[in-house]
Amino acid sequence: MIAGRRLEFRTERPTQFLDLTGQLQELVTDAGLLNGRIHLQSLHTTLGLTVNENEPLLLADFESTLERLVPTAAEYLHDDFERRQNVPADEPANGHAHNRMLLLHPSHTALVEDGRLVLGRWQSIFAVELDGPRERRLALQLEGDFAAAATSPRPAGDLVELELARQLLVDSDPVGKPMRRLVEAGGKRLRPHLVMLASRLGPAHDELRAAVLAAAVELIHAATLVHDDYVDDSAVRRGRPTVAAAEGPARAIAVGDYYFAKATRLIAELGNPEVTLTIAEAIEAVCFSQIDDFELRGRYPGDHSDYMKVVRGKTAALIAGACAAGAQLSGASETVVERMRRYGDLMGIAFQMADDLLDYSPSTGKPAGQDIRMKVVSLPLIYASEDREVGPEVRTLLDGSLADDDVRRVADLVLRSGAIGRVRDEAKDLALAAVRELEPLDLDGVRAPLEELALGAVNRNS
Amino acid sequence: MSLAAPPPKELAGIELLWEDRLSRAYDGYPAAADYRVRLAAALVEVAVDLQALGGPAAGPADLLAGDLCLARASRLLADAGDQALQISFARAVETVSGSAAAGRPVPEISGLLRQALEERS
Repeated sequence: MIAGRRLEFRTERPTQFLDLTGQLQELVTDAGLLNGRIHLQSLHTTLGLTVNENEPLLLADFESTLERLVPTAAEYLHDDFERRQNVPADEPANGHAHNRMLLLHPSHTALVEDGRLVLGRWQSIFAVELDGPRERRLALQLEGDFAAAATSPRPAGDLVELELARQLLVDSDPVGKPMRRLVEAGGKRLRPHLVMLASRLGPAHDELRAAVLAAAVELIHAATLVHDDYVDDSAVRRGRPTVAAAEGPARAIAVGDYYFAKATRLIAELGNPEVTLTIAEAIEAVCFSQIDDFELRGRYPGDHSDYMKVVRGKTAALIAGACAAGAQLSGASETVVERMRRYGDLMGIAFQMADDLLDYSPSTGKPAGQDIRMKVVSLPLIYASEDREVGPEVRTLLDGSLADDDVRRVADLVLRSGAIGRVRDEAKDLALAAVRELEPLDLDGVRAPLEELALGAVNRNS
Repeated sequence: MSLAAPPPKELAGIELLWEDRLSRAYDGYPAAADYRVRLAAALVEVAVDLQALGGPAAGPADLLAGDLCLARASRLLADAGDQALQISFARAVETVSGSAAAGRPVPEISGLLRQALEERS
């Protein structure tokens, strides 16, 4: 059997290495491909593919090599618009990008065994942007033996998307339009995915009711993002202007409130008091830690205990709530509910630690140094600030206002301190602990995706 | 200070708000109602006020305090286990925030909440 897919993403700059390994593994898992191949093909003449090691300094070497071999400033006939015919009005001078493409590949095939991409320890699959920023697409074909239940692409995920679209369709434009823009821009849908998986663990499994809960949980998450973006003064999320930036802060506050209320109503209408209470407690924990996070900025970067307090509430609480509530909706036993709650808590913390690391990887969609610039609570910064060698300079720099050079210097110091490795190891340990929570349970076909999600949470590139 | 204040655990993190204005709002709702329902109503009222729905944008600190009030109210109603009130309180916030987003006059939230309580009793 063959299944076709498209992978769409936005690049931010020329000569950007985007590590696609995590997303491709997720696609393979979602499609249920057990043994076979995944074929990738770039649909552009200045976006190549390659397999190599995701190590920031090595990627900088590659960039220098491309520049040395095919200099940007050299003369290219392709850039002589007077001699070329039918040149579009917005044609960029990108002869160097097309020539660099000769050094890369337009397609790649990766093997899949037992549901996993077959890659060496240091191998990552990269898309290489030679001429960004651009909207880019890869065509994918998955070929081989698929798990019987997964022959259509994430059927449960499709149900959630339909439910989200349905809920947003009935709302008036002043609230619905900005939220549709945010929701349709994508996102990982981690929380709804967990609700749907957990909802299969009890005897009263009902996919349609689970999709309502999953969509409501995603709307709560989106509502917190709308308010967060205003608090953080962020202009862009998921490649689009934030609600606060596009509509103004007053409307952003109202939109966040509207969807917070609507989502809690949708959950109440499900008529399961345990689910309602679980999600209500999770939201309260999120709001508590948002205040902690805001107050912590006065004594930035804080310590490990501050970090755990904020992250356990701000990120992990709703993930744990999604896991527990999904199980409760299906009438799962108290043991299953509690183990799913702990799984979500551990995975949520690991997920946030991995997110912190994206700030130090030039190959992700996240602008490098953003957490440093915004003074967001971040474990690599905490560890670097405690380091005997670089700590004093990190703390001095973080005490002041940060110019671009300061942000780069802090990032360099963090990389030198060994903080990245410490955080990566800690995140992996938490993900493994999350998996161990599931071991005693009879998970009826959802063990593999739950394990995949936990382990994938620490192997992120977006 | 309200004569019959809710248990301290329900005021955790919002003690200053209780002293400032929450206790007054609490006293404004029927004493016969479950304290969790009264406090939930007062929290929603104070949240809408803190977040200045229908007016110029609140600052980040007030926004976050308002979010905590809404979340606490939601949890109190879930604790009280009254599904009808959970739904009608949520609808009241939807009405107010929807009007604010549309630039329409914002109805008094306390009126909507009292109406919900009357319909319930």
